Amino acid sequence: MIVLEKIKEKAKELLAENKVEVVLGFTRGTLPGKCTPYFARKVDEVENFVWEEGCNHNLANYLTKLSQKAAIIVKGCDSRSIINLIKENQITREQVYIIGGTCPSTGECPDCQHQEAVIADYKISEGEGAIEDSFQDVLEFEKLSPEARKEYFYKEASKCIRCYACRNACPACYCKECFVEENLPSWVGKTTGIGDNIIFHLTRAMHVAGRCIDCGACVRACPMGVNLSLLNRKMLKDVQEMFKNVSGLSLDTELALNEYKQDDSQKFLIGGE
Amino acid sequence: MKKVDKKIVAFLCNWCSYAGADLAGVSRFQYPPHLRIIRVPCSGRVDPLFIFTALKSADGVLVSGCHPGDCHYTSGNLVARRKFALVKGLLEFIGIEDGRVQFDWISAAEGNKFAQTAAKVASEVDNLPQWDRWGEK
Ligand code: SF4
Ligand code: SF4
Repeated sequence: MIVLEKIKEKAKELLAENKVEVVLGFTRGTLPGKCTPYFARKVDEVENFVWEEGCNHNLANYLTKLSQKAAIIVKGCDSRSIINLIKENQITREQVYIIGGTCPSTGECPDCQHQEAVIADYKISEGEGAIEDSFQDVLEFEKLSPEARKEYFYKEASKCIRCYACRNACPACYCKECFVEENLPSWVGKTTGIGDNIIFHLTRAMHVAGRCIDCGACVRACPMGVNLSLLNRKMLKDVQEMFKNVSGLSLDTELALNEYKQDDSQKFLIGGE
Repeated sequence: MKKVDKKIVAFLCNWCSYAGADLAGVSRFQYPPHLRIIRVPCSGRVDPLFIFTALKSADGVLVSGCHPGDCHYTSGNLVARRKFALVKGLLEFIGIEDGRVQFDWISAAEGNKFAQTAAKVASEVDNLPQWDRWGEK
């Protein structure tokens, strides 16, 4: 397993030379085929790392919670989250050493477009590069009647138990105080009534719009099987079509909702142009 | 039995559309009584959450700000424009009727346009099927 050897070698070097205090990666989980995030702080702990099917958490989520200098082993999605976190001033480029490779765990995300890390200080493998997203799922859903779409969305929202695991797993949701928990004022109802759930889900989708990188961490975290990906991907598609913007690919571009152009579409207006 | 008017929450920016509504008033232009006006400092202040929440107790929402280029804060409405475009698409995507939530730019000098827009939005919301207030009614 040459890639894993490269990871271990690099991690040991970084820890031994005190270049970083911790290396974030994966180790085997308790269930077969599942891996769990692993923080190696000593050289001999590096041996516990794995890089295989099941390594699909988005590790970038932990960077905002660490104050030490860290190295992180990333695939496409976590690397894109890192780019966004740097752009949003949540972490600095200097604070993280990026060991980047191609995702070893595409079984769960067969339609992934960005399997390869887009930013790295050290590359452990060369991948195929990005594929264009066809948004087939979104297009299929748009073909349904408005009534059918509404019914489906209401059904999904009604499953939600408001545990906020989706938010906790999302690297883009780093606010110390989230609108769902604020009480003065109470921005959104705390019940699991359909109305409160719908408002939560629509607002969540808007909060990650232009920033979500479609890693699927929210979907995997949800204990109720809510299809969070539907709204996420609708926003991804609209941002890409309307603003020609795909987030998390480069440090040099702005996030879609942090900028504007004089000739942005006004189709949404009354009598839309 | 007297027909109950539908309720529409209107988020109007302080500098343009709210003054436009005021002008419509002092000019005595008639428009239907559906609107419940909420004055906001800028259309950029209109968090999508406000729109979604308003629909819990109202049948429609109108959001209006200054024309592009006229924003009191230079670019509040231009930033809002991108956000509103996404909100519109999101609501349509989940099967909410096009007329339920509407957006416009109305200046302080456009009292007439304000009255016309209010009438248009009110009649469109009146003609939509009964709103379920996010399934709570
Ligand atoms: S919203 Fe979900 S898919 Fe998007 S970045 Fe957050 S966890 Fe990943
Ligand atoms: S993880 Fe699932 S159940 Fe929990 S708040 Fe998110 S959508 Fe709702």
